[in-house]
Amino acid sequence: MKNRLRVLRAERNWSQADLAQRLEVSRQSVNAIETGKFDPSLPLAFKLARLFETTIETIFDDELAEDNQEL
Amino acid sequence: MPYCPTSPQERRYVAHMLIAAALCILFSVVAALGFHHAHPTGFLAYLLGILPGLPILGALAATGLYLNAETDEFLRNVLVQSLLGGMGGTLALTTVWGNLEDFVHAPHLGLTWIYPLFWAFSGVSYVFVRLRYK
Repeated sequence: MKNRLRVLRAERNWSQADLAQRLEVSRQSVNAIETGKFDPSLPLAFKLARLFETTIETIFDDELAEDNQEL
Repeated sequence: MPYCPTSPQERRYVAHMLIAAALCILFSVVAALGFHHAHPTGFLAYLLGILPGLPILGALAATGLYLNAETDEFLRNVLVQSLLGGMGGTLALTTVWGNLEDFVHAPHLGLTWIYPLFWAFSGVSYVFVRLRYK
């Protein structure tokens, strides 16, 4: 799933390791989510949203909803 | 880059697996020497025969405990996918080999090979799963 994690992280000058530490997950987890290869669970998505003080929809692109709108 | 456990749960799991592997080797040697020198019979023979399998049960229990304890969902997901790969590979190979034994008299594959085969396939699977998330 596409997301804005890299941008949000860069805005705060956080490395992947910094974000991983704040989320209490491994750096590999952050990398896998950031590259869109691994979709986080709902609790982890909420944790990300809380950390960046935004909503889940702002971080993650709901591609399926966008496709449905185009139809 | 060499494999390096990241979470405390993962480090504990690796330690448990190494202990289980060491005990498995030790108990296998004890059982082999016991049968070679003492020729036990009856209950003692069964006890000695089961001995090398006990650390294997421990390793499987450690894997279950790790999956339960690991809070990092990505790491948990990687291991589950690897184990599924290990199971699939082992089932496929042993089934095909069984057919070969039945129909073309291929050499017999002992059941004790199933466990090491499972971990060998899981290990190969782990590498491919990790590469996918690179």
